[in-house]
Amino acid sequence: MKLLTLALKNLTRNRLRSLLTVLGVAAGMFLYASVQTMQHSLSVATEGNANDTTLVVYRENRFCPMTSRLPEHYLATIERIKGVREVIPIQIAVNNCGASLDVITFRGVPPETLKQYNPNIKVISGSYDDFVKQSDAALVGQHFAERRGLTPGDKFEAVGVNVTVAGIISSDSPQDENVAYVHLPFLQQASRIGLGIVTQFNVRVDSADLLEPVARQIDETFKSDQQPTDTKPEKAFFAETAKQMIELIGFTRWLGLGAVVAVLGLVANAVLLIVRGRVKETAIFQTLGFSRMAIGLMVVFEGVLLGLVGGLIGVLGAMAFFHFKAFTLGNEGLTLALSPSTTVLVSGLVVAVALGLLASLYPAWKATSRPLVQSLNS
Amino acid sequence: MKDNLISIKSVTKSFTKGKTTITPLENLSLDVPRGEFLSLMGPSGSGKTTLLNLIAGIDTPTSGEILINGEDISQLSRAQLTKWRAVHVGYIFQLYHLVPILSAYENVELPLLLGKYSKAERKKKINAALELVGLSDRADHRPSELSGGQEQRVAIARAIVHDPDLLVADEPTGDLDRESADSILNLLNSLAKDHGKTVVMVTHDPKASAAAHRALQLEKGQFSSEGHLLNTSTQ
Repeated sequence: MKLLTLALKNLTRNRLRSLLTVLGVAAGMFLYASVQTMQHSLSVATEGNANDTTLVVYRENRFCPMTSRLPEHYLATIERIKGVREVIPIQIAVNNCGASLDVITFRGVPPETLKQYNPNIKVISGSYDDFVKQSDAALVGQHFAERRGLTPGDKFEAVGVNVTVAGIISSDSPQDENVAYVHLPFLQQASRIGLGIVTQFNVRVDSADLLEPVARQIDETFKSDQQPTDTKPEKAFFAETAKQMIELIGFTRWLGLGAVVAVLGLVANAVLLIVRGRVKETAIFQTLGFSRMAIGLMVVFEGVLLGLVGGLIGVLGAMAFFHFKAFTLGNEGLTLALSPSTTVLVSGLVVAVALGLLASLYPAWKATSRPLVQSLNS
Repeated sequence: MKDNLISIKSVTKSFTKGKTTITPLENLSLDVPRGEFLSLMGPSGSGKTTLLNLIAGIDTPTSGEILINGEDISQLSRAQLTKWRAVHVGYIFQLYHLVPILSAYENVELPLLLGKYSKAERKKKINAALELVGLSDRADHRPSELSGGQEQRVAIARAIVHDPDLLVADEPTGDLDRESADSILNLLNSLAKDHGKTVVMVTHDPKASAAAHRALQLEKGQFSSEGHLLNTSTQ
């Protein structure tokens, strides 16, 4: 404990150097945490688990909602397939099919079945009843509303569609946080797709092990139809459809790695400078009876403290940034909410401490390996 | 028979610098009785600091024995010597070498952090040491807020706080004015006379040397002459 206190006091000796190092670490860890947030959000959106029981039925060989058109009457056929619990037809209208940070997505659904299909949706302001009653009403996802500054009663226009905000919703599903739910017939007409045409069906099956057989059967059923289908589990559909976005986020791994290496070099350089500036003092401590281990620990504590303080600032800064900015990355009509998570916060801090530790090992060895007499005479 | 705290037997210290072998001390023997204030004098390169470092367990001899309180420290490893110094030696440097970010109290506390003392025990020992050097009222001051003489007093308090048998001082008055130097020498003398500490001091200053009980002159790694017991007023 006393060594830790000494290390802390030592860092206040050259405040400007310590401050600059901490700021450098904070910048590096901000970048690292941002990359991790993207990676984490992506893995949540694409990695399936035993609780996932949703299939997405899309038009075969189509990858954008603007081109995926399926007859709404497929609904009745799909509902009859064994293992299917419920089906919801969805018309999607987006302002941009490419990768974008500000994608606007309308999801047209039958208003009376939305809550039944998706019980996780919570109306946090406004009213679900108003949504059901008013044909041009929209339930807007929380992130979407924050981004656009929308509140119940507001009117807004996008993609040529004019709607009135009936309520703001939150949901466990990141997709729901970034869309505006509107009435299906309204969107079909407003987007000029026409009544009776939908973009996709979301199909809930009885259990996860039924995903594959039900998907096969749906595609088999419509194979010879004019509009054949391609059915996939929801997360696999996301992974397949949003390839551009996934590649982009995959590339950011290198930025994260670069940030880690930069932090490592920065802390190592700072601690090495600290050690070089205190060769004689280290020798004095050893003369007083402080062991090499104790001296080394003091040096390591300094590195860890630099890493921890810089890491805290950088990672918390990144968390606050993603929380308040509510970024959504959209591609092919799918949205990926870049949401801060506890996992990223904890892993970011662990990485910052580990980097501080790793960066100070060599300086710690350097500080204690020199012959004592030589250091005293330096 | 005298009770020797330090007994050095046929000690040689040599090291290589480039292709040259340097022998600052050769076949040197010395006994220092417990409670003696010994001064080592000599020109630069005579080997006095090397001898001091050997006595303090900072360096190890090439050959020979160094018995401190009956223990041959020449056989100890670097780690063992560190532990030994923490218990048995108080070191006083010419330039005090206090830690600038710590108060006088915290500087004096440093050697106690190595032992198993409670906070209350540490406080008692630190206050006693600071009182002995006459700096009780400066406990909260940082080194930058103290004069050179006061800094050296704090350094002496740091050297004695853990109650070592042996105090080694490397030019303790070399950076002080005459008045402060005399005051430090009186303090070292008192530590030997009244508290039974054995003090070995290296100095260039004949006046400082005169304050010791015995003065030895070193030249080229050998004792050239031995001083006499000094005036009784300092003993």
